[in-house]
Amino acid sequence: MNKSKIASLHDMLQNKEISCAELTEKYIEAIDRDNGSLNAYVTVTPETAMESAKTVDKKIADGKEIGLLEGIPMTLKDNISTDGIKTTCCSKILEDYVPIYDATVWDILKKQNAVLLGKTNMDEFAMGSSCETSYFGGAKNPHSLSHVAGGSSGGVASAVGGNIAVYGLGSDTGGSIRQPASFCGIVGLKPTYGAVSRYGLIAYASSFDQIGPITTSVEDAAAVFDAISLHDERDSTSQGRRGAPVCSTLKDGVKGTKIGIAKEYLESLRDDVKKAVLDAAEVYKSLGAEIVYFDLPALKFALPVYYILACAEASSNLGRYDGIRYGFKADNYLNVNDMIKKTRSQGFGEEVKKRILLGTYVLSSGYYDAYYKKAQNLRGTIVNAFKDAFTKCDVILAPTVPMTAFENGHAADDPIETYMTDICTVPVNIAGLPAVSLPCGADDKGLPIGMQLIGNTFDESAILRAAYSYENATDMYRTADFGVRP
Amino acid sequence: MVSKEEIMKIAILSKLFVADDEIDSLTEDMDKIIQFADTINNAGAEGDDFDNINNLSNVLREDEVVESYDREKILSNAKDQDEGCFMVKNIMK
Repeated sequence: MNKSKIASLHDMLQNKEISCAELTEKYIEAIDRDNGSLNAYVTVTPETAMESAKTVDKKIADGKEIGLLEGIPMTLKDNISTDGIKTTCCSKILEDYVPIYDATVWDILKKQNAVLLGKTNMDEFAMGSSCETSYFGGAKNPHSLSHVAGGSSGGVASAVGGNIAVYGLGSDTGGSIRQPASFCGIVGLKPTYGAVSRYGLIAYASSFDQIGPITTSVEDAAAVFDAISLHDERDSTSQGRRGAPVCSTLKDGVKGTKIGIAKEYLESLRDDVKKAVLDAAEVYKSLGAEIVYFDLPALKFALPVYYILACAEASSNLGRYDGIRYGFKADNYLNVNDMIKKTRSQGFGEEVKKRILLGTYVLSSGYYDAYYKKAQNLRGTIVNAFKDAFTKCDVILAPTVPMTAFENGHAADDPIETYMTDICTVPVNIAGLPAVSLPCGADDKGLPIGMQLIGNTFDESAILRAAYSYENATDMYRTADFGVRP
Repeated sequence: MVSKEEIMKIAILSKLFVADDEIDSLTEDMDKIIQFADTINNAGAEGDDFDNINNLSNVLREDEVVESYDREKILSNAKDQDEGCFMVKNIMK
């Protein structure tokens, strides 16, 4: 059976089994029905969607071939700028902000007649691991509404997992694509830093942020990645994909591939998560891969290094919100400085303020050397540790999250406990590496367990090939419904 | 141990107000977070040099005038504007 939902729908459209307008309408109806419980979308754009659908239908009626992503209903995380469509970062400070330009990724997909259903929920400014710091309330897990969808790209994962979008684009600064994909039992790809343009992505931590796809299958993730991984002169850190499209090597198998397991990734995991990941290693062995074990002691400091550096960058990036040029502006102020302080204090949520404060603290005089500079040096150590690891293996296998989705409201209690859930995802962002999360089991409540495959810089093809081989060899692929929802 | 005074100082640098009823719980949370950040100082060695991810270098281009956005469009998100400019209260008296 064809596991690619995008390819299946593409064939149905091209063969005129369904029109793009009908397909889009079905998704809009599904959003009307399910978004109240999932809270995945914060803005729904039915008019824009139907307009694109009609363009695609006209092309098909004229007997033209359509592209793979053409006419496929999708969504964007609400920190990806869309010309003329509200982009809020799920913050009060941007609640009515309407960008005047498109992010490069959306520019690319729009030109391919992608059908944008709307913008999806996220933790405020992508700061959080549960989607619950969103100004609009958190997105729910399609497997269990009493559990979170994860974060920060929780809305995209909830929408794709709940089949009210075929695929979506999220952003990953410390795990924000992979963690919600893991919690919702779907596939999330965080590309190499620089593989995808960040132009138009509202910045959280610029040396960590990366846009990537959230999909129901590895093949779909590969197809979307191939479409968006282009060099963009508007993002000076963008380099585009290196080598052939990843779709062309997806089915080459893992025979002889060296899959590495670092002991540090298996520490402090829940037993069922550990078992699921080690079982996956057995699957790889049976497919002809070689498993190699090694230590990565540098990972010990990854979490504090991430929080220090990401918050330092955030404190600088979020300095631009002053109420003058766009976004929320406070009333009743004495002077400009008072206006800026009141705007920021009333406009930012608690978690965002905490991270701005931490970032300002670690950059301030007297603390810079002990925190920021030290963390940058340790970032170098972590980069080199991964370089060394990739002389021993082709791909690293690790859990995505040490546990499964938490219950609604659970994440808010203790700040450090919440940060700890990012322990398996942040090292990849520190080193700028690509990683894909895919389902590898479920816990006793039926909540999905995810594993991630981490690759060397610009080697998306190795991790996606390994992910595809696993997906094909197991029954972990859950969303067997390739049409639209009944 | 981070003090209330330090948090207030950082808040000024961050252009944020901290309300009187927030300061205690915020200091407590920030103290936990900073103690957590402090754990990097247990890493004995000095660490390796780090410049940037993927060893990027600056990309230069000719400085040419290109078309940009319409002034009205750029101002469309501003709460206060006048005669094609963003408007704020008097900065100098």
